[in-house]
Amino acid sequence: MPLPTQDIPIEMLYVGLSAILFSIGAFGFILRRSSILAFMCVELMLNAANLALVGFSQRAQNLDGQIAVFFVMVVAAAEAAVGLAIIISVFRATRSIETSESALLRW
Amino acid sequence: MTTSLIVFAVCAALAIVSAIGVVASRNPVYSALFLLGNLLTMAVMFAALNAHFLAVAQIIVYAGAIMVLFLFVIMLLNVKTEERASPLLVVIGGLAAVSFGAALLKSYAAIAHVALPAGAVTGSNNGTVKALGLDLFTNYVFPFEVASLLIIAAIVGAVMLSQKLRPHGPDKTLAAQVVKPQEQGVK
Repeated sequence: MPLPTQDIPIEMLYVGLSAILFSIGAFGFILRRSSILAFMCVELMLNAANLALVGFSQRAQNLDGQIAVFFVMVVAAAEAAVGLAIIISVFRATRSIETSESALLRW
Repeated sequence: MTTSLIVFAVCAALAIVSAIGVVASRNPVYSALFLLGNLLTMAVMFAALNAHFLAVAQIIVYAGAIMVLFLFVIMLLNVKTEERASPLLVVIGGLAAVSFGAALLKSYAAIAHVALPAGAVTGSNNGTVKALGLDLFTNYVFPFEVASLLIIAAIVGAVMLSQKLRPHGPDKTLAAQVVKPQEQGVK
């Protein structure tokens, strides 16, 4: 993509980087079969979104984006605790954490 | 080449390499350690973007708490190395991810040069603890309190989910749980 990089402000470069990191995370989420790895890729995507928020916050000289990142961190911590507990209880029930194995709810 | 551009280039390279490492390693422990590297690089980038509090919170919350949780679960479940994904899935997933990334970058290219409207600039951009705390406890105090409810719900949910399933009550009666006869116990 032809981008003249001289006149892009530095914080907008971070926003572009976050788009690339988000795509890598999405690719991993499609690719990996163990649910714990899929979970890590979700964390990767959340962090990429955080980076975009902080970049825009710096660009707009406004703290609201950083507040949003703070709440994303809170939700991500809660999500990690509950999600890993779900993975453990799924492992107890099926002795496997492959996403293709836990097809109990599939019709 | 200015200093901030060098910082960006180094951080961008580290972040992309470690993100690819998360996706590509077959051993889940390696994936977790690559993720740790990615999170630490992200903290450096937050600091470079004047978000000092978030940089510290990133290290404490993500690199500290969440990574420990991940590694504990990996070791608890004894996750094996995964076999390689089928080439078809790699191609389809790669196409989807590349087209998605291209769409993101296209919309990014449309806004990268746009100047801010005159009224948008509010002045302070320093994400220090003081500035962020002032904002958090005045303008955002209600979401902040709701977040505590969310965390309580998450704690209760995690404890409940990780309990052992005992559909028919306790395994043994109280008497059967006593292994030694009473006269052999410690006097």
